[in-house]
Amino acid sequence: MLGFAKGLGYTFKQLTAKKVTHFYPDVPYPMPPRFRGIQHFSPEKCIVCNQCARICPTECIQLTGKPHPDPEKKGKIIDTYDINFEICILCDLCTEVCPTNAIVMTNNFELATYSRDELFKNLNWLDDNNTNVREEN
Amino acid sequence: MSMNLDMISLNSEFSEGTGLRTEEMLLNVGPQHPSTHGVFRLVVKIDGETIKESLPVIGYLHRGTEKLAEGLNYTQIIPYTDRMDYLSAMTNNYVICHAVETMMGIQIPERADFLRVIVMEMNRIASHLVWWGTYLLDIGAMSPFLFAFRDREMILELFNELCGARLTYNYMRIGGVKWDAPPGWIEKVKEFVKHLKKEIENYHALVTGNEIFINRLQGIGKFDAKTAIDYSLSGVMLRSTGVKWDLRKDEPYSVYNRFEFDVPTATEGDCLARYQLRMAEIEQSLRILEQALGQFPEEGEIMGKVPKVIRPPQGETFVRIESPRGEIGCYIASNGKDKPWRMKFRRPSFNNLQILPKLLKGENISNMVAILGSIDIVLGEVDA
Ligand code: SF4
Ligand code: SF4
Repeated sequence: MLGFAKGLGYTFKQLTAKKVTHFYPDVPYPMPPRFRGIQHFSPEKCIVCNQCARICPTECIQLTGKPHPDPEKKGKIIDTYDINFEICILCDLCTEVCPTNAIVMTNNFELATYSRDELFKNLNWLDDNNTNVREEN
Repeated sequence: MSMNLDMISLNSEFSEGTGLRTEEMLLNVGPQHPSTHGVFRLVVKIDGETIKESLPVIGYLHRGTEKLAEGLNYTQIIPYTDRMDYLSAMTNNYVICHAVETMMGIQIPERADFLRVIVMEMNRIASHLVWWGTYLLDIGAMSPFLFAFRDREMILELFNELCGARLTYNYMRIGGVKWDAPPGWIEKVKEFVKHLKKEIENYHALVTGNEIFINRLQGIGKFDAKTAIDYSLSGVMLRSTGVKWDLRKDEPYSVYNRFEFDVPTATEGDCLARYQLRMAEIEQSLRILEQALGQFPEEGEIMGKVPKVIRPPQGETFVRIESPRGEIGCYIASNGKDKPWRMKFRRPSFNNLQILPKLLKGENISNMVAILGSIDIVLGEVDA
């Protein structure tokens, strides 16, 4: 039974080892800078090029544009922008293709809600989600 | 999958010798069962404690990845491959990128190739650690699970720093990788390799030498090389019967031909041999990692020259690489558009699982979980 005793010895040694557990959620769990959390959307940067909606593998981005209010200026501005977090897989492709960094990742990841409808996030919500925004995109 | 109707007919017979009447019974294991490692159902016909027949029922996790892929362009398919073998998403990322790159003849920069090999080997270790922990949990040991997950956590943290996700990495792109290593990351991996080398010794002390453990696994779930080949098994399942076949060595892809490593094999073909091989593979992966980190190019591009729209030429390709579970293959039939006409993945877990009814026949019911665990399946990959 020597092998058995050796194994027990290793287990006992762990009594004095450093703790590896985290006290989440009592203590917030910091994520590294590149972490892909919930997106932040800046409406003023968006040029309504539709690339993000086209690359999204789960088709969870819905957007519409409207003509620029200033008749002098060409192009469109964003009207509505929704992401359905029921099916978003946080794959990072939308932020990768966006030419103006209008849509970027943040470090926030707590999405749990009591109702599935609440996972449907609109332009204002995504605009307000502006903490811990990722720097490299 | 439709049920095999023969199985449902149950015999009962009277034994003159003991004066007892015995009856066969159907036992349903899963689909929600901690030892099936996912949603997998196993219907077994038992007579007393002996398994007469068994029928694996799969498909609970089927998402139709191959069909979905036909409606997506190649970059969009990569996140779907993360969700097949979710314990080793990096190898899955690689197999699809490798297939498209082979079709289009894209050159990969050296630095990207090294990053790919480093993350694939780290992922192999992480996957084997999960197997090690959960397998021992299956056969009744609690603490190895905790140690395995403690060390696997370090790998996941490193991946999180590299690509921003802990499990579904979506790290590779056609032509290279998405992110370069952040400052100091390579040093951290080096530290980790040193740490795990020490820990492996402790793992062996904790489990491998344990007499109860050895007696528990020796000689069960045994098969020979011919059976393994007939069932088209691969990976550790094949190597445990003495066949030395590892694609990293036999058909080197990426930069594997620059590293020195052994392909561990055993001849017993039983559960214990498979345990020992997976442990030996962790050590070999650490060896590859050490060399790859040592030779890691100081600087360079991480993306090759890739056209803006990825359109592989008309035709078909099949590539295969060595995943922690065996040979993973990717077949693409292209009609020259930006989406595949047909895509097929050869998933090692699916092929390896086929031998299970044969292995279980005539076994004692208490060995069932030990044999199933030793195959090392991931249900996301079985069902795709
Ligand atoms: S992260 Fe991926 S799934 Fe989510 S919105 Fe962006 S592209 Fe779509
Ligand atoms: S890719 Fe960027 S700029 Fe274009 S529509 Fe999407 S968010 Fe707007």
